[in-house]
Amino acid sequence: MDKSSTEQLLSTDLHKNLEALNDMLHDASDLTTKVFLVGGSNYKVAVMSIEGLADQLLVKKQVINPIQHNEKLYVDSLRDPMQALHEIENRMISLQIPTRSNSLIELHGFLLSGQAILLLEGVAEALIIHSQDGPARSIEEPQTEALVRGPRIGFTESIATNISLLRRQIKEAGLVIKPYTVGKRSKQALCLLYIKDITNSKLVAEVERRLQSINLDYIPESGTIEQWIEDSSISPFPQILNTERPDKVSAALLQGKVAIMLDGTPFVLILPFTYISLIHSPEDYYERWFIGSLIRLLRFVAVTFTLFLPALYIAILSFHPSMIPFKLVFSIAAAREGVPFPAVIEAVLMEVTLELLREAGIRLPKPIGQTIGIVGGLVIGDAAVQAGIVSPVMVIIVALTAISSFAIPSYSAGIAFRMLRFVTMIAASFLGLYGIVMVFVMICMHLIRLQSFGVPYLAPIAPSFKKDWLDMFIRAPVSVLTSRPSFMKTKDKYRTKKR
Amino acid sequence: MKKNELILDEMGSKEIVFCVSNMIIGFGILTLPNTIVRTTVSSDGWISILLGGGIAILIAIIIGKLIERFPGKNVHAIMSEVFNRTFAHFFSLCFALYYFLFVSYQIRSVSTITKLYLFDNTPEEFLGFTFLLVLAYGVAGSSIALVRMNVLFFPIVISVLSLLLLFNIGGFNVHRLLPMFKSDFTGIMKATKETTFSYLGVEIMLFYNIYVLKKQKVVSSMVRGILLPILFYFVTFIFVVVIFGTLVVENTLYPLAELAKEVEVPGEIFERFEFFFFVIWLISLFCTNVMALDVTLIAIGAVFQRLKKTTLLVILLPSIFIAGLLPSSIKELRIFSSWISYLGIIIAWILPALILLVIKLKEGMKHE
Repeated sequence: MDKSSTEQLLSTDLHKNLEALNDMLHDASDLTTKVFLVGGSNYKVAVMSIEGLADQLLVKKQVINPIQHNEKLYVDSLRDPMQALHEIENRMISLQIPTRSNSLIELHGFLLSGQAILLLEGVAEALIIHSQDGPARSIEEPQTEALVRGPRIGFTESIATNISLLRRQIKEAGLVIKPYTVGKRSKQALCLLYIKDITNSKLVAEVERRLQSINLDYIPESGTIEQWIEDSSISPFPQILNTERPDKVSAALLQGKVAIMLDGTPFVLILPFTYISLIHSPEDYYERWFIGSLIRLLRFVAVTFTLFLPALYIAILSFHPSMIPFKLVFSIAAAREGVPFPAVIEAVLMEVTLELLREAGIRLPKPIGQTIGIVGGLVIGDAAVQAGIVSPVMVIIVALTAISSFAIPSYSAGIAFRMLRFVTMIAASFLGLYGIVMVFVMICMHLIRLQSFGVPYLAPIAPSFKKDWLDMFIRAPVSVLTSRPSFMKTKDKYRTKKR
Repeated sequence: MKKNELILDEMGSKEIVFCVSNMIIGFGILTLPNTIVRTTVSSDGWISILLGGGIAILIAIIIGKLIERFPGKNVHAIMSEVFNRTFAHFFSLCFALYYFLFVSYQIRSVSTITKLYLFDNTPEEFLGFTFLLVLAYGVAGSSIALVRMNVLFFPIVISVLSLLLLFNIGGFNVHRLLPMFKSDFTGIMKATKETTFSYLGVEIMLFYNIYVLKKQKVVSSMVRGILLPILFYFVTFIFVVVIFGTLVVENTLYPLAELAKEVEVPGEIFERFEFFFFVIWLISLFCTNVMALDVTLIAIGAVFQRLKKTTLLVILLPSIFIAGLLPSSIKELRIFSSWISYLGIIIAWILPALILLVIKLKEGMKHE
């Protein structure tokens, strides 16, 4: 776009204006223009909109019809076209008219975002008529985060729907929904959400600062924003959580966190994200606290298994067979008889196969995906053992690791552990248990250093906030959880009224 | 980037306690019972442990009182203020030398013992080198991360060590403690010297004082940080003696590791518990060394302010590694270790005490 066009303004000549707008959109085929006379007068009016973006039926019924069929001659009594426009705006159109504009650039922006515009002969100004509409998916249960117990509502691709879903859950005036436009060319709507009297203003300022730094022409998904504003792009761990569940977002907002919504995707970003949220799921709060706590501990075990189980197998087999009971060593060794590879190769081979199966299963249509599971998991596993390429114990280990990695609630966090699993395996193959410890220490050091928007990643553990431990590995009874996470440094510290 | 941090980089009293404890409990706990029993008769070593602990507490109070006067400043800044920059430079370099040798000694010991208990064929140098690389990764970040690391690791270390002792309760034979109070004064004093060495570590606060921003109970936190190791050394010593008897302890180089071998895990999932013990012990050693190395870097960095951290690391790491390889036998390693300990006592304990004395004297003069 050249600079001179930014100063282009409307003229009083209707046809010139229409031509100019048409030119700017390069005679787009989906641009509909209807030129007609105001009923009972000779004033020419044009209504422009883009098919598919603006609700054509609505425009016809609420804009074109009333003007065309006007019989009360308000307009004719007025000589001034400016006054005529005023009359049209106030007496004829029943749709919302947010603003007027006289800049061509602005007008075509409005057109592209789905508004209809109304031009009147002799006036260098246009009415913007709110008539957005578009294909939308109905509200469904979220695909990626199924729960046994909990609301069956998931976000959709429409930001307006998503905001309304949240508003329904948090009926508070303090819920700030701050609009942004991102994407130099795509001009997508983005919203920053937080609760004003809870969220720490430093956090909001930092998020705003980073959002403003976004400099992209198109943002296909909220994942792109996540990558643009996250603290460390080298870290394998996600520093921002994404979710399709409104209940998860409203719970996070009430904890003093910030949410980011992007138009066009059901995935809403929640930040800051801390390590401990990896093993948290909304269900923990919906079930009774015993169950919630036990499931959390189970997930923690799952994380440990995912990271260390194959590595321990390698370390024990190649360096420290005396670590496990003699009988077990014997049976493993017997099972491994005939396997030509060392334990590392065996393990890496099987783990890579597993990753391949998983990837293939995601891409394929659902019915075939299940077949892949059966073919891959059962046939390959069994055949590999029969052929003597891997030992049955290895297959058990791999399966256990896979199941464990699925038990981690956050998909992207699960990937982090799956990646690191290979690192521990390699370390174990070189230095056995010593290598595993060294990798463990390094992972811990990394996690301690990592921050998510000024909040340390290991927040309630190191630096420790004892109060928050009630909602960490265990989930204390609801009546005990009276305060918001203290590491969030919220303005309003208590969830309940203090007596 | 760091403008809008929600949580400040500072040490609370919990961080101080864990930091000091973790710094003290390191390599020493493995050999301590053996060294004590060598110079004392029967089970009298516990007196030395308590005496050494008493000395350490005294030093902790002195260091605490000193740094309490200068919140948010490290010892280099304190020295520059009280004396002059040259003296501060000299002191910092001495301190750096002490921790430099300390780290190289520990790396050597780690590789020796790891090889002894975990590996048959892997060369010691390779083990030490790996440890060094992980240390380098550890110090590459900010110091506050290391301080926080203690909060993460120390509870794990303590719980596994406690578990180790708990599992050994079956082998208790209280009669092995008897006879008591049979050692002569010199024997106890000699053992006290050894135990005092193993309490080195409080001095870390001289540098980490930069993170103590609030005037909280620094002294009491530091003392609590020493009480934990005292309790731990004491209990470990009693356990080792009660289970093995003094004669065995006298002839085992690493009694605690042998204690770990004795454990039978209920359910027999694991044949030998000592692997867990080693894992935990390695983590504990990592904490100690990474902080020591970090302080070395801070101390040298305070003197040569233009030197970049990475450059410094590139120079330091190979020299640490080579210095660690110098002692050729375990006997030489022991001599090396006692030199370092003497150095530590002089630089890190006696000098700060003198500084505090000078400050007090200066204040006294002003009042008159």
